[in-house]
Amino acid sequence: MLNKTIWNKQSTRETVSGYLFMTPAIVVLGIFLIVPVIFTIVLAFYRVQLLGEVSFQFAGFKNFVRMRSDERVWIALKNTAEYVAIVVPIQTILALGLALILNTNIKGKSWFRVAFFLPTVTSSAVLTLIFMWIYNTNGLLNSFLGFFGLPTYNWLGDPDVALKGIMLMNIWATAPLFMVIYLAALQDIPESLYEAASIDGAAPWEKFWCITLPFLKPVTFFVIVMGIIGTFQLFDQSYIFSSGSGGPNNATLTIVLLIYQYAFKNLDMGYALALTLMLALVIMTVTLIQRSLFKEESLD
Amino acid sequence: MKKLLSSLAFSALLLLTNSCRSGDKNEGAIEITLSGWQSNPIESRLLEKVIDQFEAKYPNIKVKHEVINSQYMDVIKTRLIGEVAPDVFYLDAFEAPLLMKYDVLEPLNSYIKPEFNLADFEPNLIDAFKRNGNLYGIPKDFSTLALFYNETAFAKANIQQPPKTWNQLIEYSKKLTLYDQTGKVNQYGFGITPELPRQQFIIQAFGGELVDRNHYAAFATPESLKGLQLVIEQYRHDRSSAQPSDVGASSGDDMFGQGKAAMMLSGAWTIPYFKETFPNLKFSTAEVPTINNRKGTMAYTVAYVMNRKSTQKEAAWKLIEYLTSEATMKESGSQGFALPSRRSVLKGLDSDRHSLYAPLIAGSTYATIWQAGETLPTILTNFDNQFVSALIGQQSLKDAMQKAQDTANREIYLSN
Repeated sequence: MLNKTIWNKQSTRETVSGYLFMTPAIVVLGIFLIVPVIFTIVLAFYRVQLLGEVSFQFAGFKNFVRMRSDERVWIALKNTAEYVAIVVPIQTILALGLALILNTNIKGKSWFRVAFFLPTVTSSAVLTLIFMWIYNTNGLLNSFLGFFGLPTYNWLGDPDVALKGIMLMNIWATAPLFMVIYLAALQDIPESLYEAASIDGAAPWEKFWCITLPFLKPVTFFVIVMGIIGTFQLFDQSYIFSSGSGGPNNATLTIVLLIYQYAFKNLDMGYALALTLMLALVIMTVTLIQRSLFKEESLD
Repeated sequence: MKKLLSSLAFSALLLLTNSCRSGDKNEGAIEITLSGWQSNPIESRLLEKVIDQFEAKYPNIKVKHEVINSQYMDVIKTRLIGEVAPDVFYLDAFEAPLLMKYDVLEPLNSYIKPEFNLADFEPNLIDAFKRNGNLYGIPKDFSTLALFYNETAFAKANIQQPPKTWNQLIEYSKKLTLYDQTGKVNQYGFGITPELPRQQFIIQAFGGELVDRNHYAAFATPESLKGLQLVIEQYRHDRSSAQPSDVGASSGDDMFGQGKAAMMLSGAWTIPYFKETFPNLKFSTAEVPTINNRKGTMAYTVAYVMNRKSTQKEAAWKLIEYLTSEATMKESGSQGFALPSRRSVLKGLDSDRHSLYAPLIAGSTYATIWQAGETLPTILTNFDNQFVSALIGQQSLKDAMQKAQDTANREIYLSN
């Protein structure tokens, strides 16, 4: 009996001190993460006017109904989906390829690792400006293409290639980050498995297919999820490319850019928050679908 | 615990700010903030000098000058919402209707004394900052568009006079478009900026309108299209005009300065820019060629406005008054980035020495002010988005403009 109360007391004390240690984190996360999330969910159902006389007016599902007939939402969704569908597989395969190359014992391995990783630590705004020079009509890329007699493009002005240009840049910038993650995972695969496979007479290709890939599955899941979340949130590159309009003819319009336009250009906070919520739901759904896909495969 | 921590953090912050404050020399001075963008370092230095003079005249007022360079209006709007906006700030005429509508600006009527001589200001510019009889801003300066032409290119093509009509402009552009041996264009006749702020007067040339009386977009009419079609046709059929990205330039000015375009429409800011960046460029200016026998050009103006929530309104007005006084305007006008908004100062500009400015000044009598109600930001985004697609031939101008107008109007309708 006595023991129990003491134990209880101690546990409360531990709890209190535990929370005490976590307070800074809880306060910071609460203010900058949880409160905004709650606000987003609540205000998405309101008509909000912030400038001048602040007013909130309950609007029910109006903001969500409006989305359905908003052509630009669909264009933005389509652009974003296309972007995700192209960028994520390529950057994942590229990251895996680079990691495999760097995992072999080639000379200057660490130098290559640093060189490949540099784009990831560079600010994306700076990268975009550098790439705008490269994509310039008289820029590096066109000179290169022209040198080999290939067709040149107006990378910044032509809507058919504008989004492709952004894709190219993003693949180049984010693949190295995932490469490092793959590299770490590759070093975790026990060498003995490869040795055993060699004794059994497995070809390098078979080793890769039956040992490396299955071992990398959890990492691949992580890489793809992070890749999808990152690409769904594409904003800065298309903003700088189109100076905020999402043009030409909505070719570089992404969901986040649209949210930005509604929130800051039109000051239509309620609708912008409803769009934010929609984006969050889309990302969540895609992630859930993926999780079930990956689970099914591991059952085989 | 949360409370304790936050109060602790708060007191720490307070201590920090207090220790900063105590470093100031004159205790008890009023501090006001002035925010604006910087279009040019020279212009900024000049403003600092004027502020120093102001502080010398009013020793109890300290002015904190703050430069916001990117996304100026987003920053200002967000700060107004958070009630931490500066006391005095720049406001472009095109964004003014929105802020005036939401009542976040202080009406200045009661502050203006007769000796300020408000009647001296260009009436069009004053009207841009008026709503329901209240005046919300004092125009600091303005600029119109004029035709800039490369004298060297004109001499080579044997053209003596700048074009007087738009048809002449199109004709000269063909002559001024030069090819290299491989058939690539290395000089276009005319440089265009396919953005609404530069196109509004073209929309109006044949009687079209940008917006209707209820501030809905109305630029997809046959009259408006007739004007815009001139721009599209020259670009698509004659191939004698180009946008900056076609030639790898960062702006219209850059394209002209590099000699990639022999003519363009631009404003006063270009003249000092060229003198500094392209000192060997031989250029001159003329009035914008007439379209449909009508003179037309654009005018852009920026005003100083006061935040309604400012706690130092008297001091803020003193600053605005000083910055827009005749003496200050004379000093800044001589730099030539823009034209002074006071008529007395504008007249005083030595017309001979400023011959490059003469067409810009002449334009002020018939210019369209870049402003069209609080819906303009929405219309602008949609117009720019679609006009470029018509320009590069993705769709006909009529379809593109109809699409832009419909999208803009739906957004305006839904946000009302």
